[in-house]
Amino acid sequence: MLKGLLLSGGLIALWAVGQAIVFHVAAPRKVFSSMLRSFAPTVPIYLLLYYVTPAHLGFLPTGFVGMDWRLGLGNGLMVYVLLFLTAGLFYSHADRSITIRLLIELARAPQQRLTLAEMRAVCGVEVLMQDRLDIMVRNGFLASRGDRFFLTPKGWIGSGVGRVARRVLRIRAL
Amino acid sequence: MKGLALAALAFALLVAGSVSALHFHRGGKEFKVFLAAFAGSVGLYAGAFWLVPADLGFVPVSWQETSPVVDFWNGLLLLALVFHGYWSFCYFACVSPSMSVLVDLRERGREGMSPGEALAMQGSDEPVNLIFQRRLPKLIRGGYVIEEAGAYRLLSRGGRVAALGSFLKKLINAQVGA
Repeated sequence: MLKGLLLSGGLIALWAVGQAIVFHVAAPRKVFSSMLRSFAPTVPIYLLLYYVTPAHLGFLPTGFVGMDWRLGLGNGLMVYVLLFLTAGLFYSHADRSITIRLLIELARAPQQRLTLAEMRAVCGVEVLMQDRLDIMVRNGFLASRGDRFFLTPKGWIGSGVGRVARRVLRIRAL
Repeated sequence: MKGLALAALAFALLVAGSVSALHFHRGGKEFKVFLAAFAGSVGLYAGAFWLVPADLGFVPVSWQETSPVVDFWNGLLLLALVFHGYWSFCYFACVSPSMSVLVDLRERGREGMSPGEALAMQGSDEPVNLIFQRRLPKLIRGGYVIEEAGAYRLLSRGGRVAALGSFLKKLINAQVGA
């Protein structure tokens, strides 16, 4: 199990560095697609590395080897995919969090102080919603026809998931 | 294998517990429900790991992790990663302005939605729209921001979060003011 964990941990670290370089060099408009495109080829690399390397990776004590290799491979792959998804979530937290944006705008303001009107001007609903509508069109959740937005099949699926989640969880905006 | 199985069970109980608790929670501090559910699941996982035999009564020897320490921390890592995803999904599905647009469009069917109608959903015509109504009181209660003389001022705790957010945005090459 430790072999798979070390291989997945090492690979995700390398992937993260590579993806950070992509963000700075290419500034992709479809961020998650970019992350997925760069991550997908690393999965067979993980599988190949697991296959060609010895169970002890050249340094692990015998107490950490001995488990069925298939379980170690599968566990490491599961951790690898979860780490990738977590990285995607952290990107979303950093880039899309309204609260973090609000705090950053306060930090940048004179005397770190803003009135409500000033907050609305820099990160109010008008600014944020247009940005989010543009992103949803770009990522294929909405289609724009004239001055109106409509759900695409992808948006239909997403909205179904959201509707069920809201009924089950009952977390309200206020 | 033991850690994996117990982590899966702990997560199932976490979901059931948090969904049940959210049905009765009225305080507006849903994050406490999620944190309590996670803390409870970690406690149950750790307790069960200590009490339950390594073979769980049915696991073959070759499927058992030779190091109990690795087994334990692997299960805990998986539980934490899956919980983070679950928590993020819950908040996005329920509170995100984007999801609100998608859900409302579904109900409107072929009628569609104009940008103005999308703004109105967030209370754009009200003095304090939904985006601020939800966040400002919580930032004040949490000690990140203080309200004084008709404005809001950042406190040191909020400054640290803002600094971390700015750093992360620079790391991913996102516009810091966006």
